[in-house]
Amino acid sequence: MNLILIPIALPLASAFLILLISEQTRYLKETLALAVSAVCLLGAFLIFTSALFGQPLELIARWAGYGMDFALKADRLSSFILLAVSLFTFLTAIYSFSFEKKGGAKWFYFNLLQSQAFAAGAALSDNLVALLFFWEGLLIFLTVFIALSKPDQAAKKTAMKAFLINAAAGLCLLAGVAITAYIAGSMSISGISADKLTLIGWAAFGYVLMLIGAVSKSGAFPFHTWLPDAALDSSAPFMAYAPAALDKLLGIYFLARISVSLFTLNGTMQLVLMTLGALTILVAAMMALAQTDYKRLLSYLAVSQAGYLILAVGTLNPAGLAGGLFHMLNSAVCLSCLFMTAGAVERRTGAGDLSKLGGLFGAMPVTALCFIISAAALSGIAPLNGFFSIGLIYEGVLSAGYTPFFITAALGSALTLASFLKLGHAVFFGNRPEGLRETKEAPFSGVFPMAILAAICVISGFGARLPLEFLIAPGLRDLGLAYEALGGLRLYPLFWVSVVVILTAVVNHMFGCAAAQGKACKACDHILYAPVLRDLYALAQARFFDPYEQFMKHLPRLAGILYKADRFFDYLTDDLPAFAVNAFSKASQRFHTGYYPLYLALTIAGFVIYIFFTAHYGGLK
Amino acid sequence: MTSDTGLLAYLLIPLFTAVLLPFVARRRPGFSASLANVTLLAGLLNIGYALLNPASLAASFADIKEDGFSLLMIFLIYLVALAVTFFSAWYLEGRPNRAAYYSLILTSVSAMCGAVTTGDFFTLYIFVEALALTCAALITADDSAAGLEGALKYFLLTWPASLLILFGIAFLLLTAGTLSFENLKAIIASGRPAGAVVFAVSLILLGFLVKSGVVPFHAWLPDAYQGACAPVSAYLAAVVTNISGVYAVIRIAMLLRLFEIKSYHTSGLLMFAGMLSIMVGALAALRQKEFKRMLAFSSISQTGYIALAAGLGTPLAILGAVFHLVNHAVFNTVLFLNSAGLEKAAGAGDMRRLGGMEHAMPWTSWTSIIALMSAAGIPPLAGFWSKLIIILALWDGGAKVYAVPALLFSLVTLAYLLAMQKKIFFGKATEASAASREARPALLVPVAALSVLIIALGAFFPYVFSYLLETIAARILL
Repeated sequence: MNLILIPIALPLASAFLILLISEQTRYLKETLALAVSAVCLLGAFLIFTSALFGQPLELIARWAGYGMDFALKADRLSSFILLAVSLFTFLTAIYSFSFEKKGGAKWFYFNLLQSQAFAAGAALSDNLVALLFFWEGLLIFLTVFIALSKPDQAAKKTAMKAFLINAAAGLCLLAGVAITAYIAGSMSISGISADKLTLIGWAAFGYVLMLIGAVSKSGAFPFHTWLPDAALDSSAPFMAYAPAALDKLLGIYFLARISVSLFTLNGTMQLVLMTLGALTILVAAMMALAQTDYKRLLSYLAVSQAGYLILAVGTLNPAGLAGGLFHMLNSAVCLSCLFMTAGAVERRTGAGDLSKLGGLFGAMPVTALCFIISAAALSGIAPLNGFFSIGLIYEGVLSAGYTPFFITAALGSALTLASFLKLGHAVFFGNRPEGLRETKEAPFSGVFPMAILAAICVISGFGARLPLEFLIAPGLRDLGLAYEALGGLRLYPLFWVSVVVILTAVVNHMFGCAAAQGKACKACDHILYAPVLRDLYALAQARFFDPYEQFMKHLPRLAGILYKADRFFDYLTDDLPAFAVNAFSKASQRFHTGYYPLYLALTIAGFVIYIFFTAHYGGLK
Repeated sequence: MTSDTGLLAYLLIPLFTAVLLPFVARRRPGFSASLANVTLLAGLLNIGYALLNPASLAASFADIKEDGFSLLMIFLIYLVALAVTFFSAWYLEGRPNRAAYYSLILTSVSAMCGAVTTGDFFTLYIFVEALALTCAALITADDSAAGLEGALKYFLLTWPASLLILFGIAFLLLTAGTLSFENLKAIIASGRPAGAVVFAVSLILLGFLVKSGVVPFHAWLPDAYQGACAPVSAYLAAVVTNISGVYAVIRIAMLLRLFEIKSYHTSGLLMFAGMLSIMVGALAALRQKEFKRMLAFSSISQTGYIALAAGLGTPLAILGAVFHLVNHAVFNTVLFLNSAGLEKAAGAGDMRRLGGMEHAMPWTSWTSIIALMSAAGIPPLAGFWSKLIIILALWDGGAKVYAVPALLFSLVTLAYLLAMQKKIFFGKATEASAASREARPALLVPVAALSVLIIALGAFFPYVFSYLLETIAARILL
């Protein structure tokens, strides 16, 4: 059996095995899932080393014909994604080992392993149709993940929201794939990338459709609205796994593939991408400031990070893309770690609301430390990994010549740090509420994965050369770009940028705390209640900017219109012919009275017409 | 065209019996029915053997030297006439003047045989007129006022037709100098026929259209069918209309190959009239309350299909038209004879008073249902195949504008026939139908035999098709 199938087929089969295990058993399902994900990680590592140092693994099987082959190819970029996906599956499996509030264990691990299988498949696919298959299959398990993470109705509703948004985007992706495959005359990704398409006419349309699919997967504006809801209605392990890690990895991987390998983008499309990224950064970071729930705040930051990644891909230059790929990994690591700390705090205190938390540093030192490290890394504080990846993105944006986007990104960093200061201050510092006196550190299974992720942040910060050399650079080469490494990074000015960012955020936080009489959870209220922003926040709180909610609000009216249209077509096909037939039938009944002169008149009239015609066209003309 | 003296026997023998009957049966009226039946049965067996003898089948009908169309029509005439006389033998038992009735039927059989075997227009006209006279007399066999009214209407509305045919014949004699089909064929085969010849034949065609009850010349038909007594209306609907009108229409279509000389538009007019008949007949039938009247409108609609196919004039279309004519005759006989049985049993022809008849009269019901399904074109019954061929021929012959509505209106046909079927035979039994009893076995013999024929014609369609192909379609070529 080909090694490349292990991260796909093994979890797929084991997931069904887990369903067979009785719900009564203790830790059997957990252990099995853990073992399977460990084997997957090992397999992914072997595939990765094989791609890096040897021959990339491949598997091509005839599938549906017409070029729709089941083609898997582990080149350096896709096996890097596979490695990251498998790592997060493994860590999530550890983290949720003894995590109680994750829904039924059976279904949790079933979904986890299925997600691993389908995400691995999506990362490795070398055929657009196979990619679509895994991509949409993943959507099913993510939806079920959310729906079964809590027994209440809200989880189902949010699952529906996530499903509808992603399914709509998935349909766009389907159409985009169809158009692209038709124009390129091939469905093989490596085949198309050998002869890139230019953005003209239908090809541009196809690209935009696929862009919608990729952007919505990574959870960027305006397809992000299900994420904050899922933060409240689903479990912390799910948030740490799917939206924080998996979706970022796959979405940005695919975005980079289509934008760099499959199409040659033009300036307009580049501007569109970067604008989308910048907008996502700013909107989501502003929204994060306003949040008062641990996971919900993090979820907005996750959205904001997707903005950085899209901005990075939009630069289309080696520095920007290196930063993008590196930051994709970093943000996944940091966000996953942050959601895990949220889960640990929630597990020990039973609360996610910032106003009910405080002073937990003493009680949960490891958790707090992990939080601080990953938050600092995500805000781009030197010398953690985020500093280098965000620095590379700045570098890319500047060398592409778009200074306004650089300023937006830096502002986003400041806002991110400000919300982290608010969050960290409110949760881990200050006075501990009475009810939390007895709080203990999270158990080993909860702390261990966090610690690993925090360690990754530190190691790939101090030794940023290591991941860049072995993970990012080979991937860039697969995208057909040169790698300049940190050589192109102007460390000195960037350091000062980060100092300015830190100072802005700290000053803002201190001012906010003073204004709110020392209440850390209200540290950003001076921004929230600023003159114009106040109204915007009020509208956002009423979900005025949520396209999904707006659509749902108008859905009854739309349904009414469609119903009327349907009635009308029914009338055309059913009632109108019946009415016409009946009317004619009645008329004929009234005519056939048996009145002889009438009959004779009709007959004679028929004669006249007939004879006129035959005489006119016949010989008497 | 054939002038084989062998075929004269089919004409002369019934005529001889018809003359003989009043004398022989003066003392014993019951004897007249037997004699008529025996005569017709003998004729049927004879013609049946001619058509179906094994040698003829084995040689793909190559040894049928006579016109296959004529032979088939003779078979049909004898078949339906025998069914009607057999039915009448019990149905009319005890009525006065039976000898005259059978005598008229035999005379009309003889006239019809003459009409289908003749080779020129004048003889055709003579026989058709003789047929019209005997039939007008037959309609009055029902003593009611309706019968008399029907007969008068039949006569008065078809006399202009006779006039037109006569005009046409005169005109033809003036322009072409001949009335023989053979000679006319030769004239037409020689190239473009003179417009005047086509006009003359078109006039004759118009006369026969009136006699076949194609819309807008259909007005006499429902009243005549409704007014006549039941076996007579079956006889009228099944063969008389078909032979006196539709047969000649097909014959002229075969003769003229109207489709190939489009410039004269006679073909277009014929097809238009056919389509109009299909539509008006089907739509008018939808709301009829009287069983027989609905069947009359249904007949108009079915005749429309035949006229439409004849107007197209391709060999396949003619084949479909002839087969539909046969089917139409067979299922109409079953339906009209059963309507007579229903009327007698339940005392009503009004469909609103009937219902759930399948319990009271299972044989009548199920033979009717078979015939109805054949008329509606439900596979694998015979009616399905003929309609299919006609629609295929229309599509194939480039008349797609007609093929689509023809198909759609076959759905309307299905609608009203199914509605009627449900109203009369299924559902809850009404007072009238609960009290009724199954008809006598002797009355059921003809309808049962014809139902078997409907099924057999459908089931053995490939053989029927090859017969029609070998004897009719392949011989149309000039």
